[in-house]
Amino acid sequence: MATERYSFSLTTFSPSGKLVQIEYALAAVAAGAPAVGIKAKDGVVLATEKKHKSILVEEHSIIKVEVVTDHIGMVYSGMGPDYRVLVKQARKVAQQYSRMYQEPIPTTQLVQRLAAIMQEYTQSGGVRPFGVSLLICGWDADRPYLFQCDPSGAYFPWKATAMGKNFINGKTFLEKRYTEDLELDDAVHTAILTLKESFEGQMSGDNIEVGVCSSKGFRRLTPAEVQDYLANIA
Amino acid sequence: MARGTSAGFDRHITIFSPEGRLYQVEYAFKAINQEGLTSVACKGEDTAVCVTQKKVPDKLLDASTVTHMYQLTPNLGCVMTGMQGDSRYQVLVAQHEANNFRYRHRYDMPINDLCRRMADINQVYTQNAEMRPLGCSMILIGYDDELGPCVYKTDPAGYYCGHRACSAGVKQTEANSFLEKKFRKKTNYGKDETIQLAITCLMTVLSADFKPNEVEVAVVSKDDPKFRTMTESEIDTHLTAIAERD
Repeated sequence: MATERYSFSLTTFSPSGKLVQIEYALAAVAAGAPAVGIKAKDGVVLATEKKHKSILVEEHSIIKVEVVTDHIGMVYSGMGPDYRVLVKQARKVAQQYSRMYQEPIPTTQLVQRLAAIMQEYTQSGGVRPFGVSLLICGWDADRPYLFQCDPSGAYFPWKATAMGKNFINGKTFLEKRYTEDLELDDAVHTAILTLKESFEGQMSGDNIEVGVCSSKGFRRLTPAEVQDYLANIA
Repeated sequence: MARGTSAGFDRHITIFSPEGRLYQVEYAFKAINQEGLTSVACKGEDTAVCVTQKKVPDKLLDASTVTHMYQLTPNLGCVMTGMQGDSRYQVLVAQHEANNFRYRHRYDMPINDLCRRMADINQVYTQNAEMRPLGCSMILIGYDDELGPCVYKTDPAGYYCGHRACSAGVKQTEANSFLEKKFRKKTNYGKDETIQLAITCLMTVLSADFKPNEVEVAVVSKDDPKFRTMTESEIDTHLTAIAERD
């Protein structure tokens, strides 16, 4: 199928020293659906909006909060197709690690490797950067982790963060609400409230997705469980 | 904010524009309408159907060789909308992928897996500058023994998802509005109802009464899960039923 690659990178420096393709990729991320991550004492929660443009679309044919390993999960803001590529890569990287070292991949290792892949696409020939920012959460060594990976290949550990549309408002909201001794349940509650700030319409178990990570591992909440949390909000 | 473009190439190859858009992908969507055709697919309780126009522009053409419906596995098929060359290529790749899967795993590739695989391949063209996105959209229909009747659609952006009903081509927006109205009221259509709904949708948005040789229909259902295109006489039966209903 492919062919002669471009032998030069398309992401080049502007006179002011910026890599504009990466800036544009971040613009694509900021136009994407909101995603939120919050670290609690005993776990991490990821949540995202999953609005469909039409009632003809099957809500549950597409999954945004994806499982990478038993104890690591991720979600994104930005371009869906690019995200799928990174989910595949993440899963492969995790499997390769566990095959070589005979133990589950530590979250920090996965994040470093995935971010390196994202960086490659900003410097290799004939490709554009990924148009997604990832939120990766995991539990290992008896503590929770939450990381953000950007199209540039940079990664940041967060206590709580928001990405996508209205992320500035989301982060301001989280700055006010976040405390160090949040429990997982409260964190889920806060994550849903953060999404609600920018949500147009009625939230339900079918148009938001929530994933939780704890010592028991990472799992996605069922629509019914999400609905229960929503019922507890005024 | 960076002023100007990235040397003006963001419209020529798949790199980001200042607003974070991919112009080449957006243009690929426009290319789907080049042929001037529309396709519709929908599913009911036990049946999935896809319908498309059959325009034979020249009397000298052999009409039996003009088709947009292709079988991918025994129980899975697709309707292609858009540039014909790109469509045929994408079908070839899909058939190859499905066959490879069958060889490796000893069972037929499920429809959602095949659609996801085709979408992932489409995504590669949106990220590599040396290849352009394909100017065609693939709508797959199949009867899955776990998921029931399925309609999946993928597009040049690499996006895919499952639908209750969908359309592609020139009259896509009108067809989707029509289908939304119908599916808002009811979703569990019977076999004949599903087929007639798809045909009626196409007839309504094109404001045309079809003759059996102007439309192609393919169907899969619970009692007949093999993907097959209907013969002209079967199509005629449904067209007559539609005319009598009105």
